Amino acid sequence: MVNLLFFGRLGDFAADVPASIEASTPAQIRELLAADFPALGAELHEPQVLVSVNQMIVSWNQKLAEGSEVAFLPPVTGG
Amino acid sequence: MNSLRIQAEDFDLAAEYQSLRQLSLAVGAVVTFTGLVRDFEGQGSIDSLSLQHYPGMTEKLLQEIVDQANSRWNLLGTSVIHRVGKLLPCDQIVFVGVASQHRADAFEAAQFVMDYLKTKATFWKKVEQDGQQYWVESKDSDQAASQRWANDD
Repeated sequence: MVNLLFFGRLGDFAADVPASIEASTPAQIRELLAADFPALGAELHEPQVLVSVNQMIVSWNQKLAEGSEVAFLPPVTGG
Repeated sequence: MNSLRIQAEDFDLAAEYQSLRQLSLAVGAVVTFTGLVRDFEGQGSIDSLSLQHYPGMTEKLLQEIVDQANSRWNLLGTSVIHRVGKLLPCDQIVFVGVASQHRADAFEAAQFVMDYLKTKATFWKKVEQDGQQYWVESKDSDQAASQRWANDD
């Protein structure tokens, strides 16, 4: 299992998403979520959305280790 | 000296300036930038702004930005403060201060840190206005400002 975090506007679409999921890549997580939560799936397919694993930005095909923290990050708007 | 703080509390601009000024006798220039909560692009006054961030990752990304600034310019000290939580119009959101021997380093590094902070650090703003809430969209102009430094590499 890996743990899921959703930030910014993505959090509004992920209120009912389980805190952890069984998956081997972020891309697979995205597909699994899109099946159950189509609105969230559409958001995650936006090209500007980034994914991080254990607080490092990675590619969507990054292999996930058990217990990883996977976060979905919309474009940042700080400052 | 590099100081990074993410905090809900307000900060004292004069105190931050003094910390940079007093770092060493070699300091010949201090540039400070303060970002404030303002109205949003002609949509009237906002009620409040809520700042969310990704604890742990934000600190790491800010450290990387400050490290890059230190490798590009001759700096004697940098200080970054970013507030999180609920803020009101006119509140201070962000502080960047840079101390150096000569002004060009401090001016450029302060702008670089702000440009990168706005496009790379994991903060998100939500606006509350007339009982409605919406997330702030990222701006192409911020991306362009950040990209300018990458083109200099």
